Amino acid sequence: MTLLISELSKTFGQKQAVNHLSFELAKGQTVALLGPNGAGKTTTLRMISGLIKPTSGNIRFDNIKNDEDLRQHIGYLPQYPQFHGWMTGREFLIYVGELSYLSKKEACTRADELLVKTGISEAKNKRISAYSGGMRQRLGIAQAMIHSPKFLLLDEPVSSLDPVGRRDILNLLEELKEETTILFSTHILSDAEEVCDSLIVMNEGRIVEQGTLDSLRDTYQRQVIDLHFKPSAIDIKKALATIEGVTSIHEQKGHLLLEVTHVDVVKADILRRTLSEEWPLDYFSVNKTSLEEMFMEVIERDAI
Amino acid sequence: MQFKTVLKKELLMHMRNYSLIWIPIVFIVLSIMDPITTYYLPIILEQVGGMPEGAVFTIPEIPPVDAFMLSLSELSMFGVLIVILLTLSTISGERKTGVLELILVKPVKTGNYLGAKWLAKIIIFTSALGLGLLLSWYYVTILFGEISFLYTLLAICFYAFWFVFVISVTMVFASLVRTQILGFGLTVLTLTSLSIINGLFHHKMPWFYNNLSSLIGQMLTQEQISSDLIINLVLLFGTSLLLLAVSVYLFDKKEKL
Repeated sequence: MTLLISELSKTFGQKQAVNHLSFELAKGQTVALLGPNGAGKTTTLRMISGLIKPTSGNIRFDNIKNDEDLRQHIGYLPQYPQFHGWMTGREFLIYVGELSYLSKKEACTRADELLVKTGISEAKNKRISAYSGGMRQRLGIAQAMIHSPKFLLLDEPVSSLDPVGRRDILNLLEELKEETTILFSTHILSDAEEVCDSLIVMNEGRIVEQGTLDSLRDTYQRQVIDLHFKPSAIDIKKALATIEGVTSIHEQKGHLLLEVTHVDVVKADILRRTLSEEWPLDYFSVNKTSLEEMFMEVIERDAI
Repeated sequence: MQFKTVLKKELLMHMRNYSLIWIPIVFIVLSIMDPITTYYLPIILEQVGGMPEGAVFTIPEIPPVDAFMLSLSELSMFGVLIVILLTLSTISGERKTGVLELILVKPVKTGNYLGAKWLAKIIIFTSALGLGLLLSWYYVTILFGEISFLYTLLAICFYAFWFVFVISVTMVFASLVRTQILGFGLTVLTLTSLSIINGLFHHKMPWFYNNLSSLIGQMLTQEQISSDLIINLVLLFGTSLLLLAVSVYLFDKKEKL
């Protein structure tokens, strides 16, 4: 089962929030919708969840009739989930379970199962108004999963949490990956990197880059040689620039960062000259540029 | 099934926030206040110093039916305001806090959702109304004289149709506008306009919506049900169902934010 999004657009008054967006979400994938604030991530998720209607374009599943209610197959967690504070966590789960056509008995079983899975079973009979932010987020995930949806849409599931809560939710997502297809939005790349296998990068309502984490790394990641020298009379920077294969040299906190085309050749060259010309080298390492830099690069390129 | 789920949840909410207790109490107080204070008016006047010497003030004899109708008019003022406010808060309130988001991403049919809320409000308010008016009847029979119990029961049932109508009008505006205060204003404006129309034309259209209470008054005095009353009830209930359908339509049409 695949979720097919084609030419999806949404305008609010003058503002084009989402602009001809097309992508596919195949069963079993975990995809992050990455982008700065205001990129149209939330609007996209809300359109898929059926909360708002697209201005144009369509959302469908490949093997489901058009007249069927897609909401049966989708679980959605808004960025700031709100509950009936006077209900207990368990009551709320059973309530939304029954709304999703589970029988009372099924809803109870499923609710208890999810309360354990999300780690809030101790508080299940407490009023939701007494829940902390992290507990609300867990309850939010539990309510999204109550009817075992095929697709789980999460809007910034960890952005509002403290580091401990963040860690817990990321671990939970790792577990949920086994059960369902996940599409979640975030503006923090490291969260995306940790949980998902592919990325869709959005900016100003459009997709600016997409692919699996590995393919993005291949495309954007460059190797960098990081060097540090003791102060000396030799103009090493100038000497390094003459080495073949060095494309650029940046200076950062006393370190020289070399972007190179062929690491092995350049590496050998530098080490040979260090020995023969007695360069005062005291630090040498070969690193990779992070995906964070890729993210910045893609967004900046798009802005031009 | 879905309908029952929402209905159960609504009633549970009324239990948890104690409105299942305070609404009947308020309605009882509203209902019995006027007959009792009217009866004891001479004594109250005596206690606060009496009439000036030489003043002649005869308090007219009040027939039991008129005393009972005082309760109805009290409920049609303050009772109706409470009905409007609480009905609005269950829809606009859920929209405003954002709970509605979590409900609407589930495969919920709008008709079930709004219909259940409609019925829940009807159950709560008509039972409070029934309690209040029964107690009013009790005091009126003690203090002013007999009224037929059978016709009192009928009067209560018929008057409930007015509340059903008010709830339905409120539902339309709750679906139409986002803010509670605007919904409240529009509902009150609509009911007031209807009442003005009734004031001007009730001799030509005795079956008009707002004429219900005077038709009920007639029924209690004459102890028979007029055809105007029947037409009025059919009109009220039919319009209520229509308004419920309209509110479902408006709610669906509006973006579900």
